[in-house]
Amino acid sequence: MDLGISALSYVNSIKNDEFTVEEFISKSLERINQVDEKLHAFLRVNDLVIKNAREIDTKIKSNQNVGKCYGMPISVKDNICIEGSKTTCASKVLENFVAPYTSTVISKLNSEDAIIIGKTNLDEFAMGLSTEFSAYGPSRNPWNTDYVPGGSSGGSGVSVSANECIASLGSDTGGSIRNPASFCSVVGLKPTYGLVSRYGLVSYANSIEQIGPLTKTVEDSAFLLNIISGIDSNDNTTVDNKNQDYLNNIDAGISGKKIGIVTEMTNSEGLSTDVLNATNDAVKTFEKLGANCEQVSLQMIPYTVAAYYTITSTEAGSNLARYDNIRYGYEFDSSGFEFNSYISQARSKLGPEVIRRMILGGFVPSAGHAGKYFLKALKVKSKLIAEINHVFEKFDFLISSTVPIQPFKFGEKIQDPVSLMMVDFNTVTANLTGIPAISVPYKITNGLPIGIQIMANCLEEHSLLQAAYALEKTVDLPKVPV
Amino acid sequence: MKNLVNEEEISEVAKLMKIDLADHNDHIKRVQKMLEYFDILDNAGVESEEITVQETDLDKLRDDKYNPYDKNLLKFLKSYQGKYVKAPKLN
Repeated sequence: MDLGISALSYVNSIKNDEFTVEEFISKSLERINQVDEKLHAFLRVNDLVIKNAREIDTKIKSNQNVGKCYGMPISVKDNICIEGSKTTCASKVLENFVAPYTSTVISKLNSEDAIIIGKTNLDEFAMGLSTEFSAYGPSRNPWNTDYVPGGSSGGSGVSVSANECIASLGSDTGGSIRNPASFCSVVGLKPTYGLVSRYGLVSYANSIEQIGPLTKTVEDSAFLLNIISGIDSNDNTTVDNKNQDYLNNIDAGISGKKIGIVTEMTNSEGLSTDVLNATNDAVKTFEKLGANCEQVSLQMIPYTVAAYYTITSTEAGSNLARYDNIRYGYEFDSSGFEFNSYISQARSKLGPEVIRRMILGGFVPSAGHAGKYFLKALKVKSKLIAEINHVFEKFDFLISSTVPIQPFKFGEKIQDPVSLMMVDFNTVTANLTGIPAISVPYKITNGLPIGIQIMANCLEEHSLLQAAYALEKTVDLPKVPV
Repeated sequence: MKNLVNEEEISEVAKLMKIDLADHNDHIKRVQKMLEYFDILDNAGVESEEITVQETDLDKLRDDKYNPYDKNLLKFLKSYQGKYVKAPKLN
């Protein structure tokens, strides 16, 4: 039995009776036991998976209706709530928090008979891009365990890449799905803002974050998007996608399509030569497939990282105010404490990066500073949206590397906050503008992955996945060495 | 010459956010560096730009009606009495 199969192959194998759900789930658990001590993709593994697998096997054997997932093991980032189980956001503050309700995406997966195999590691409250800020220790890159797996959905990326599960759900605020997808050589999709319900996702920066899939293939991302997308009365920002089938005609090709190569993302200061070469190579591949590629400049791009951190810190400062030990948090008795010092005590359980973002989030929108920081960041965002709208009048897609660099070693960047922020340079544009973006595994150089990012206009996931599929079909990458 | 945001200003905001800084200097220095980088926003030339906001028509919002929530959320709190949450004393 090959644990590295795609979701679609898994479904076919189950339908053809090649193995049972229980057999596959048992093997996946064995795999987790075998590799996860080293990789630390999971914060918790679900105790009930074998029971769930047997129930689905029974349904299959007795010819009852079975959901589209046929019991496939899916991991979930630990900032997405499942009723009755822990959701820690990789923070000590929520160490014992048991979610009182289930997120919409999980309800949808459950109704299609997916098996949630466990909750995956992340940077605390999804603030980071390496999992080094997880309060429970980092995850490791299965391609080379001396290197970071990317983040913040690092555990999700690792769990899919190392064949500990078939697919995963992550969240993407500034690249948190695409960055680990690129670093771990899996597919990662950040959908259009509003295409997937955020009900039950622990808030970090509500105005730009999205839930999306990390998968082994582009088709699998389309398959999962079919399940998790759509309007939800519990999230007023969701849009009606009329039950669009993203798998339909995914092999349509991209002949005649116009692709813009984002100039500012291909000549940025921090871009590595190997990554630039891979990007140029991907452009040539698209041209061979019949697309027309040309350079396009978006003048706001150099300011996007600063705008992104300003806006997200502001929203985080507000969202994290609830971890005051009264509503949520590390519980201890309030008697004998004065109000402010009690709340300060509770906040002392937050990790260093979260503390810094809260301070930033208090500073940049404050009276006397908002004009210089927060309002200016919102203006950059508005102008960037206008630029993107203009560019998509002419182009179907935009292309860049997903990340300007390859995975880096643990500790290499953590001391330098600015170089850490610059890792997000190519990914934040999609979040600030709400457009969808996908990372496709493209190359392994020096034993480490490089992903290519394709962006499309809002709600153009269908054509975006067609472009990603076309690119994916041209590459043949080695198997993960773990 | 760059104008660094002074440490006292950052400390004051931290205090207002009810954050007690144990390793005070390290945090302040890092926040200062991040703010220094944000100065790049001054070069964006967006002063005259309008801020656009996402608008949602009222008829697209869910009906304004009471949906009873049957789960007892109070039991998730460690510190409560009857239907009141216990909080520390406000001076």
